[in-house]
Amino acid sequence: MEVTITKTDDKNMVVLNGRIDTTNADQFMADVQPLMQPDAGDVEIDCSEMSYTSSQGLRVFLMLQKSVMARQKKMVLKNMKPQVKEVFDITGFSNIITIQ
Amino acid sequence: MQAYGLDLHCQMIMEEYNAMLPQMRKMQEIVEQQLHHIVDENHLYVNAIESRIKSEESLAGKLLLKGAKYMFLSDITDILGARVITFYTDEVDKVAALVEKHFEVDWDNSVDKRKIYQLNSFGYMSLHYICRIPRSLYYDEQHPEINEMRFEVQMRTALQHVWAVMNHDTGYKSGVEVPYEHLRNLTRLAGMLELADEQFSRIRREITDYRRRVQGLVSSGNFDEVPLNGDTYRSYLSLHPFQQLVEKIAAINQAEIINDNLMPYYDVFVALDFKSLGDIERMKTDYGDAAYQLSVHQIGSTDLDIMAASVAVLNLCAVYILKMGGGVKGLERLYNAMGGTPEANAMRAQNTFSNAQRINLV
Repeated sequence: MEVTITKTDDKNMVVLNGRIDTTNADQFMADVQPLMQPDAGDVEIDCSEMSYTSSQGLRVFLMLQKSVMARQKKMVLKNMKPQVKEVFDITGFSNIITIQ
Repeated sequence: MQAYGLDLHCQMIMEEYNAMLPQMRKMQEIVEQQLHHIVDENHLYVNAIESRIKSEESLAGKLLLKGAKYMFLSDITDILGARVITFYTDEVDKVAALVEKHFEVDWDNSVDKRKIYQLNSFGYMSLHYICRIPRSLYYDEQHPEINEMRFEVQMRTALQHVWAVMNHDTGYKSGVEVPYEHLRNLTRLAGMLELADEQFSRIRREITDYRRRVQGLVSSGNFDEVPLNGDTYRSYLSLHPFQQLVEKIAAINQAEIINDNLMPYYDVFVALDFKSLGDIERMKTDYGDAAYQLSVHQIGSTDLDIMAASVAVLNLCAVYILKMGGGVKGLERLYNAMGGTPEANAMRAQNTFSNAQRINLV
Protein backbone atom coordinates (compact mmCIF):
# COMPACT_ATOMS: atom_id res chain seq x y z
CA MET A 1 0.00 0.00 0.00
CA GLU A 2 1.42 3.38 -0.99
CA VAL A 3 0.16 6.75 0.16
CA THR A 4 1.34 9.85 -1.66
CA ILE A 5 0.35 13.24 -0.27
CA THR A 6 0.85 16.47 -2.17
CA LYS A 7 -0.12 19.70 -0.41
CA THR A 8 -1.32 22.59 -2.53
CA ASP A 9 -2.54 25.78 -0.85
CA ASP A 10 -5.42 24.66 1.38
CA LYS A 11 -5.88 21.23 -0.18
CA ASN A 12 -4.17 17.87 0.24
CA MET A 13 -4.11 15.70 -2.87
CA VAL A 14 -3.72 12.06 -1.82
CA VAL A 15 -3.10 9.10 -4.09
CA LEU A 16 -3.68 5.57 -2.73
CA ASN A 17 -2.08 2.62 -4.45
CA GLY A 18 -2.73 -1.05 -3.60
CA ARG A 19 -4.72 -2.92 -0.92
CA ILE A 20 -5.59 -1.77 2.59
CA ASP A 21 -5.98 -4.80 4.84
CA THR A 22 -5.07 -6.07 8.31
CA THR A 23 -1.39 -6.26 7.43
CA ASN A 24 -0.96 -2.60 6.54
CA ALA A 25 -3.90 -0.72 8.09
CA ASP A 26 -1.68 0.57 10.93
CA GLN A 27 0.82 1.88 8.42
CA PHE A 28 -2.03 3.48 6.45
CA MET A 29 -3.15 5.20 9.66
CA ALA A 30 0.38 6.51 10.25
CA ASP A 31 0.68 7.66 6.64
CA VAL A 32 -2.47 9.80 6.79
CA GLN A 33 -1.58 11.43 10.14
CA PRO A 34 -0.48 14.68 8.42
CA LEU A 35 -4.04 14.99 7.09
CA MET A 36 -5.36 15.06 10.67
CA GLN A 37 -3.22 17.95 11.87
CA PRO A 38 -5.07 21.09 13.03
CA ASP A 39 -3.75 23.13 10.10
CA ALA A 40 -4.43 20.50 7.42
CA GLY A 41 -6.87 21.72 4.76
CA ASP A 42 -9.35 19.90 2.51
CA VAL A 43 -8.55 16.33 1.54
CA GLU A 44 -9.05 14.86 -1.92
CA ILE A 45 -8.21 11.18 -2.26
CA ASP A 46 -7.66 9.55 -5.62
CA CYS A 47 -8.65 5.90 -5.20
CA SER A 48 -8.17 4.87 -8.84
CA GLU A 49 -5.21 2.61 -7.92
CA MET A 50 -6.72 1.27 -4.68
CA SER A 51 -7.74 -2.35 -5.23
CA TYR A 52 -9.36 -3.24 -1.88
CA THR A 53 -10.10 -1.99 1.62
CA SER A 54 -10.89 -4.07 4.67
CA SER A 55 -12.84 -2.96 7.75
CA GLN A 56 -9.61 -1.62 9.21
CA GLY A 57 -9.21 0.60 6.18
CA LEU A 58 -12.79 1.81 6.56
CA ARG A 59 -12.05 2.72 10.18
CA VAL A 60 -9.11 4.87 9.08
CA PHE A 61 -11.29 6.60 6.45
CA LEU A 62 -13.89 7.23 9.17
CA MET A 63 -11.32 8.74 11.57
CA LEU A 64 -9.99 10.89 8.76
CA GLN A 65 -13.51 12.04 7.90
CA LYS A 66 -14.25 12.94 11.54
CA SER A 67 -11.00 14.86 11.82
CA VAL A 68 -11.66 16.78 8.60
CA MET A 69 -15.24 17.60 9.66
CA ALA A 70 -14.08 18.78 13.09
CA ARG A 71 -11.90 21.29 11.28
CA GLN A 72 -14.85 22.26 9.08
CA LYS A 73 -12.97 21.12 6.00
CA LYS A 74 -14.02 18.74 3.25
CA MET A 75 -12.94 15.27 2.28
CA VAL A 76 -13.81 13.55 -0.96
CA LEU A 77 -12.86 10.13 -2.37
CA LYS A 78 -12.62 9.95 -6.15
CA ASN A 79 -12.27 7.44 -8.97
CA MET A 80 -13.08 4.36 -6.90
CA LYS A 81 -12.97 0.96 -8.59
CA PRO A 82 -16.36 -0.81 -8.59
CA GLN A 83 -15.24 -3.59 -6.22
CA VAL A 84 -13.99 -1.00 -3.71
CA LYS A 85 -17.12 1.10 -4.10
CA GLU A 86 -19.19 -1.98 -3.30
CA VAL A 87 -17.43 -2.31 0.08
CA PHE A 88 -18.39 1.27 0.87
CA ASP A 89 -21.95 0.64 -0.35
CA ILE A 90 -22.77 -2.55 1.56
CA THR A 91 -21.34 -1.19 4.81
CA GLY A 92 -23.26 2.09 4.42
CA PHE A 93 -19.98 4.05 4.32
CA SER A 94 -20.93 5.63 1.01
CA ASN A 95 -23.65 7.44 2.99
CA ILE A 96 -21.09 8.74 5.50
CA ILE A 97 -18.18 9.62 3.23
CA THR A 98 -18.45 11.74 0.08
CA ILE A 99 -17.55 9.64 -2.95
CA GLN A 100 -17.36 11.08 -6.45
CA MET B 1 -16.93 70.88 27.59
CA GLN B 2 -19.14 72.98 25.35
CA ALA B 3 -21.64 75.39 26.89
CA TYR B 4 -24.57 74.38 24.66
CA GLY B 5 -26.36 77.55 25.78
CA LEU B 6 -27.19 75.95 29.14
CA ASP B 7 -27.84 77.89 32.31
CA LEU B 8 -25.50 77.55 35.29
CA HIS B 9 -27.59 74.84 36.97
CA CYS B 10 -27.62 72.69 33.85
CA GLN B 11 -23.90 73.28 33.28
CA MET B 12 -23.27 71.85 36.76
CA ILE B 13 -25.23 68.74 35.83
CA MET B 14 -23.14 68.48 32.66
CA GLU B 15 -19.92 68.71 34.73
CA GLU B 16 -21.24 65.97 37.02
CA TYR B 17 -21.98 63.88 33.93
CA ASN B 18 -18.43 64.18 32.63
CA ALA B 19 -16.99 63.36 36.04
CA MET B 20 -19.21 60.27 36.30
CA LEU B 21 -18.43 58.87 32.84
CA PRO B 22 -15.84 56.25 34.02
CA GLN B 23 -18.32 54.89 36.57
CA MET B 24 -21.08 54.94 33.96
CA ARG B 25 -18.90 52.87 31.65
CA LYS B 26 -18.31 50.39 34.45
CA MET B 27 -22.07 50.25 35.08
CA GLN B 28 -22.66 49.66 31.38
CA GLU B 29 -20.23 46.75 31.40
CA ILE B 30 -21.86 45.19 34.49
CA VAL B 31 -25.42 45.65 33.25
CA GLU B 32 -24.81 44.30 29.77
CA GLN B 33 -22.83 41.35 31.11
CA GLN B 34 -25.60 40.52 33.59
CA LEU B 35 -28.34 40.79 30.95
CA HIS B 36 -26.44 38.40 28.67
CA HIS B 37 -25.91 36.06 31.61
CA ILE B 38 -29.55 35.89 32.70
CA VAL B 39 -30.80 35.47 29.13
CA ASP B 40 -28.32 32.65 28.43
CA GLU B 41 -28.87 30.97 31.78
CA ASN B 42 -32.61 30.83 31.18
CA HIS B 43 -32.24 29.62 27.58
CA LEU B 44 -34.04 32.61 26.12
CA TYR B 45 -33.32 33.28 22.47
CA VAL B 46 -33.49 37.04 22.08
CA ASN B 47 -32.99 39.24 19.06
CA ALA B 48 -30.51 41.63 20.69
CA ILE B 49 -29.12 42.99 23.92
CA GLU B 50 -27.69 46.45 23.59
CA SER B 51 -26.77 49.43 25.72
CA ARG B 52 -25.54 52.97 25.41
CA ILE B 53 -24.46 55.91 27.52
CA LYS B 54 -26.29 59.09 26.61
CA SER B 55 -23.95 61.36 24.66
CA GLU B 56 -23.01 64.82 25.93
CA GLU B 57 -24.93 66.43 23.04
CA SER B 58 -28.02 64.37 23.72
CA LEU B 59 -27.93 65.21 27.45
CA ALA B 60 -27.48 68.89 26.64
CA GLY B 61 -30.54 68.75 24.40
CA LYS B 62 -32.55 67.14 27.17
CA LEU B 63 -31.41 69.76 29.69
CA LEU B 64 -32.25 72.56 27.29
CA LEU B 65 -35.81 71.26 27.02
CA LYS B 66 -36.52 70.33 30.63
CA GLY B 67 -33.41 71.07 32.70
CA ALA B 68 -35.41 72.68 35.51
CA LYS B 69 -36.97 69.29 36.25
CA TYR B 70 -33.65 67.84 37.42
CA MET B 71 -31.80 68.81 40.58
CA PHE B 72 -28.84 66.43 40.14
CA LEU B 73 -27.49 64.12 37.46
CA SER B 74 -28.86 61.20 39.48
CA ASP B 75 -32.40 62.48 38.84
CA ILE B 76 -31.95 61.62 35.17
CA THR B 77 -32.60 57.91 34.94
CA ASP B 78 -31.67 57.19 31.35
CA ILE B 79 -28.04 58.32 31.22
CA LEU B 80 -27.29 54.62 30.95
CA GLY B 81 -29.87 52.76 28.90
CA ALA B 82 -29.96 49.06 28.11
CA ARG B 83 -32.36 47.29 25.84
CA VAL B 84 -33.40 43.68 25.41
CA ILE B 85 -35.22 42.96 22.17
CA THR B 86 -37.13 39.70 22.14
CA PHE B 87 -38.84 37.88 19.30
CA TYR B 88 -42.13 37.21 21.09
CA THR B 89 -44.40 39.27 23.33
CA ASP B 90 -44.53 36.66 26.10
CA GLU B 91 -40.74 36.72 26.26
CA VAL B 92 -40.84 40.40 27.18
CA ASP B 93 -42.55 39.30 30.42
CA LYS B 94 -39.99 36.57 31.00
CA VAL B 95 -37.10 39.02 30.57
CA ALA B 96 -38.89 41.51 32.84
CA ALA B 97 -39.25 38.87 35.56
CA LEU B 98 -35.54 38.15 35.34
CA VAL B 99 -34.63 41.84 35.45
CA GLU B 100 -36.80 42.20 38.59
CA LYS B 101 -34.96 39.28 40.14
CA HIS B 102 -31.42 40.36 39.29
CA PHE B 103 -31.57 44.16 39.60
CA GLU B 104 -33.19 46.57 42.09
CA VAL B 105 -36.21 48.01 40.31
CA ASP B 106 -37.36 51.54 41.15
CA TRP B 107 -41.09 50.81 40.80
CA ASP B 108 -42.18 54.43 41.26
CA ASN B 109 -40.41 55.38 38.05
CA SER B 110 -40.82 52.24 35.96
CA VAL B 111 -43.43 52.22 33.23
CA ASP B 112 -45.26 49.49 31.43
CA LYS B 113 -46.25 51.44 28.35
CA ARG B 114 -48.04 48.37 27.09
CA LYS B 115 -50.72 48.99 29.72
CA ILE B 116 -51.22 52.69 29.31
CA TYR B 117 -52.03 52.99 25.65
CA GLN B 118 -55.35 54.56 24.84
CA LEU B 119 -58.38 52.63 23.60
CA ASN B 120 -58.30 54.53 20.35
CA SER B 121 -54.57 54.48 19.71
CA PHE B 122 -51.80 52.03 19.11
CA GLY B 123 -48.12 52.51 18.94
CA TYR B 124 -45.10 52.71 21.11
CA MET B 125 -45.49 49.89 23.53
CA SER B 126 -42.62 48.66 25.58
CA LEU B 127 -41.71 47.98 29.13
CA HIS B 128 -39.26 50.35 30.82
CA TYR B 129 -37.73 49.53 34.19
CA ILE B 130 -35.63 51.98 36.12
CA CYS B 131 -33.06 49.95 38.01
CA ARG B 132 -30.01 50.00 40.23
CA ILE B 133 -27.16 47.52 40.41
CA PRO B 134 -27.58 45.57 43.67
CA ARG B 135 -24.58 45.21 45.95
CA SER B 136 -24.90 41.45 45.66
CA LEU B 137 -24.01 41.78 41.98
CA TYR B 138 -21.21 44.36 42.25
CA TYR B 139 -19.79 46.56 44.95
CA ASP B 140 -16.70 48.75 45.00
CA GLU B 141 -16.28 50.73 48.21
CA GLN B 142 -14.30 53.36 46.29
CA HIS B 143 -17.34 53.92 44.08
CA PRO B 144 -20.58 53.34 45.98
CA GLU B 145 -22.31 55.59 43.42
CA ILE B 146 -22.27 52.64 41.02
CA ASN B 147 -24.99 51.12 43.21
CA GLU B 148 -26.81 54.42 43.66
CA MET B 149 -27.06 55.66 40.08
CA ARG B 150 -30.14 54.48 38.24
CA PHE B 151 -30.30 53.22 34.70
CA GLU B 152 -33.09 52.25 32.34
CA VAL B 153 -33.80 48.82 30.88
CA GLN B 154 -36.17 48.73 27.93
CA MET B 155 -37.77 45.43 27.02
CA ARG B 156 -39.65 45.11 23.76
CA THR B 157 -40.29 42.79 20.86
CA ALA B 158 -38.47 43.11 17.55
CA LEU B 159 -41.62 44.55 15.97
CA GLN B 160 -42.09 47.04 18.81
CA HIS B 161 -38.48 47.99 18.23
CA VAL B 162 -39.10 48.50 14.52
CA TRP B 163 -42.04 50.71 15.41
CA ALA B 164 -40.03 52.74 17.90
CA VAL B 165 -37.14 53.26 15.49
CA MET B 166 -39.40 54.24 12.59
CA ASN B 167 -41.51 56.46 14.81
CA HIS B 168 -38.36 58.20 16.02
CA ASP B 169 -37.15 58.55 12.43
CA THR B 170 -40.34 60.35 11.40
CA GLY B 171 -39.65 63.02 14.01
CA TYR B 172 -43.00 62.33 15.66
CA LYS B 173 -41.59 62.95 19.12
CA SER B 174 -39.38 65.87 18.18
CA GLY B 175 -42.06 68.44 18.82
CA VAL B 176 -42.35 69.26 15.13
CA GLU B 177 -45.92 69.14 13.92
CA VAL B 178 -46.60 66.06 11.79
CA PRO B 179 -49.55 66.25 9.38
CA TYR B 180 -52.68 64.35 10.40
CA GLU B 181 -52.51 62.02 7.41
CA HIS B 182 -49.00 60.84 8.32
CA LEU B 183 -49.97 60.33 11.95
CA ARG B 184 -52.97 58.31 10.85
CA ASN B 185 -50.78 56.12 8.61
CA LEU B 186 -48.29 55.61 11.43
CA THR B 187 -51.13 54.56 13.73
CA ARG B 188 -52.42 52.10 11.14
CA LEU B 189 -48.93 50.64 10.84
CA ALA B 190 -48.64 50.37 14.62
CA GLY B 191 -51.93 48.46 14.76
CA MET B 192 -50.70 46.09 12.10
CA LEU B 193 -47.42 45.44 13.95
CA GLU B 194 -49.31 44.83 17.19
CA LEU B 195 -51.53 42.28 15.46
CA ALA B 196 -48.49 40.66 13.84
CA ASP B 197 -46.79 40.39 17.24
CA GLU B 198 -49.87 38.67 18.67
CA GLN B 199 -50.09 36.33 15.70
CA PHE B 200 -46.43 35.33 15.94
CA SER B 201 -46.86 34.49 19.63
CA ARG B 202 -50.10 32.60 18.95
CA ILE B 203 -48.54 30.59 16.09
CA ARG B 204 -45.56 29.70 18.26
CA ARG B 205 -47.86 28.54 21.07
CA GLU B 206 -49.86 26.41 18.64
CA ILE B 207 -46.74 24.84 17.13
CA THR B 208 -45.44 24.05 20.62
CA ASP B 209 -48.80 22.48 21.55
CA TYR B 210 -48.83 20.49 18.31
CA ARG B 211 -45.31 19.17 18.93
CA ARG B 212 -46.26 18.14 22.47
CA ARG B 213 -49.35 16.31 21.20
CA VAL B 214 -47.37 14.56 18.47
CA GLN B 215 -44.62 13.54 20.89
CA GLY B 216 -47.33 12.07 23.12
CA LEU B 217 -48.79 10.07 20.22
CA VAL B 218 -45.36 8.88 19.09
CA SER B 219 -44.39 7.84 22.63
CA SER B 220 -47.68 5.97 23.08
CA GLY B 221 -47.15 4.10 19.82
CA ASN B 222 -50.24 5.44 18.03
CA PHE B 223 -48.25 5.73 14.82
CA ASP B 224 -51.20 5.64 12.43
CA GLU B 225 -52.51 8.83 14.00
CA VAL B 226 -49.26 10.67 13.48
CA PRO B 227 -48.85 12.34 10.08
CA LEU B 228 -45.40 12.06 8.58
CA ASN B 229 -43.51 15.34 8.57
CA GLY B 230 -40.05 16.55 9.54
CA ASP B 231 -41.01 17.10 13.19
CA THR B 232 -42.84 13.81 13.68
CA TYR B 233 -40.10 11.85 11.92
CA ARG B 234 -37.50 13.45 14.22
CA SER B 235 -39.55 12.45 17.29
CA TYR B 236 -39.94 8.96 15.82
CA LEU B 237 -36.18 8.60 15.39
CA SER B 238 -35.70 9.39 19.08
CA LEU B 239 -37.41 6.02 19.74
CA HIS B 240 -34.65 4.28 17.71
CA PRO B 241 -37.26 2.48 15.56
CA PHE B 242 -34.72 0.67 13.36
CA GLN B 243 -32.37 -0.40 16.15
CA GLN B 244 -33.60 -4.00 16.30
CA LEU B 245 -32.99 -4.49 12.57
CA VAL B 246 -29.63 -2.66 12.77
CA GLU B 247 -28.43 -5.00 15.55
CA LYS B 248 -29.72 -8.07 13.74
CA ILE B 249 -27.79 -7.12 10.59
CA ALA B 250 -24.67 -6.20 12.61
CA ALA B 251 -24.79 -9.63 14.25
CA ILE B 252 -24.18 -11.29 10.85
CA ASN B 253 -20.48 -10.35 11.05
CA GLN B 254 -20.38 -9.21 14.69
CA ALA B 255 -19.94 -5.76 13.21
CA GLU B 256 -19.27 -2.51 15.01
CA ILE B 257 -22.21 -0.13 14.42
CA ILE B 258 -21.51 3.47 13.38
CA ASN B 259 -24.54 5.61 14.17
CA ASP B 260 -25.04 7.92 11.25
CA ASN B 261 -27.79 10.41 10.48
CA LEU B 262 -31.15 8.89 9.54
CA MET B 263 -32.91 12.22 8.94
CA PRO B 264 -32.13 12.18 5.17
CA TYR B 265 -34.46 9.16 4.87
CA TYR B 266 -37.41 11.42 5.64
CA ASP B 267 -37.27 12.66 2.03
CA VAL B 268 -37.21 9.05 0.85
CA PHE B 269 -40.33 8.17 2.85
CA VAL B 270 -42.07 11.26 1.48
CA ALA B 271 -41.06 10.23 -2.06
CA LEU B 272 -42.49 6.78 -1.33
CA ASP B 273 -45.77 8.57 -0.58
CA PHE B 274 -45.85 7.52 3.08
CA LYS B 275 -48.48 9.56 4.91
CA SER B 276 -48.02 8.55 8.53
CA LEU B 277 -45.46 7.01 10.85
CA GLY B 278 -47.73 3.95 10.72
CA ASP B 279 -46.67 3.47 7.08
CA ILE B 280 -43.02 3.21 8.20
CA GLU B 281 -43.98 0.77 10.95
CA ARG B 282 -45.85 -1.41 8.43
CA MET B 283 -42.84 -1.37 6.13
CA LYS B 284 -40.71 -2.61 9.02
CA THR B 285 -43.16 -5.38 9.88
CA ASP B 286 -43.76 -6.49 6.29
CA TYR B 287 -40.24 -6.21 4.88
CA GLY B 288 -37.86 -6.31 7.86
CA ASP B 289 -37.03 -9.99 7.28
CA ALA B 290 -36.42 -9.44 3.57
CA ALA B 291 -34.13 -6.47 4.33
CA TYR B 292 -32.20 -8.73 6.70
CA GLN B 293 -31.92 -11.45 4.03
CA LEU B 294 -30.60 -8.90 1.55
CA SER B 295 -27.99 -7.78 4.09
CA VAL B 296 -26.96 -11.39 4.76
CA HIS B 297 -26.43 -11.83 1.05
CA GLN B 298 -24.43 -8.60 0.79
CA ILE B 299 -22.08 -8.90 3.75
CA GLY B 300 -22.44 -12.49 5.00
CA SER B 301 -19.70 -13.75 2.69
CA THR B 302 -17.27 -10.93 3.61
CA ASP B 303 -15.19 -10.29 6.72
CA LEU B 304 -16.41 -6.67 6.99
CA ASP B 305 -17.01 -6.04 10.69
CA ILE B 306 -18.05 -2.42 10.65
CA MET B 307 -21.28 -0.90 9.29
CA ALA B 308 -23.32 2.27 9.35
CA ALA B 309 -26.69 2.01 11.11
CA SER B 310 -28.35 3.45 8.02
CA VAL B 311 -27.69 0.17 6.16
CA ALA B 312 -30.84 -1.23 7.81
CA VAL B 313 -33.11 1.62 6.66
CA LEU B 314 -31.50 1.70 3.24
CA ASN B 315 -32.06 -2.02 2.64
CA LEU B 316 -35.58 -1.75 4.07
CA CYS B 317 -36.37 0.98 1.54
CA ALA B 318 -34.68 -0.98 -1.25
CA VAL B 319 -36.78 -4.06 -0.53
CA TYR B 320 -39.97 -1.98 -0.30
CA ILE B 321 -39.22 -0.36 -3.67
CA LEU B 322 -38.57 -3.73 -5.29
CA LYS B 323 -41.71 -5.26 -3.78
CA MET B 324 -43.74 -2.30 -5.09
CA GLY B 325 -42.34 -2.96 -8.59
CA GLY B 326 -39.95 -0.01 -8.62
CA GLY B 327 -37.18 -2.08 -10.19
CA VAL B 328 -33.65 -0.86 -10.90
CA LYS B 329 -34.87 2.64 -11.70
CA GLY B 330 -36.59 2.88 -8.31
CA LEU B 331 -33.36 1.81 -6.60
CA GLU B 332 -31.42 4.38 -8.59
CA ARG B 333 -33.76 7.10 -7.34
CA LEU B 334 -33.26 5.87 -3.77
CA TYR B 335 -29.48 5.95 -4.03
CA ASN B 336 -29.48 9.30 -5.83
CA ALA B 337 -31.50 10.71 -2.93
CA MET B 338 -28.67 9.64 -0.61
CA GLY B 339 -25.95 11.35 -2.69
CA GLY B 340 -23.14 10.06 -4.88
CA THR B 341 -22.86 10.24 -8.64
CA PRO B 342 -25.67 9.01 -10.93
CA GLU B 343 -23.25 6.62 -12.69
CA ALA B 344 -22.09 5.02 -9.44
CA ASN B 345 -25.66 4.85 -8.16
CA ALA B 346 -26.83 3.16 -11.37
CA MET B 347 -24.21 0.48 -10.84
CA ARG B 348 -25.13 0.17 -7.19
CA ALA B 349 -28.81 -0.21 -8.09
CA GLN B 350 -27.95 -2.94 -10.57
CA ASN B 351 -25.88 -4.78 -7.92
CA THR B 352 -28.69 -4.60 -5.37
CA PHE B 353 -31.22 -5.75 -7.94
CA SER B 354 -29.02 -8.73 -8.89
CA ASN B 355 -28.57 -9.66 -5.23
CA ALA B 356 -32.31 -9.41 -4.66
CA GLN B 357 -32.94 -11.68 -7.64
CA ARG B 358 -30.55 -14.29 -6.29
CA ILE B 359 -32.50 -14.57 -3.06
CA ASN B 360 -35.85 -14.45 -4.84
CA LEU B 361 -36.93 -11.06 -3.52
CA VAL B 362 -37.96 -10.10 -7.04
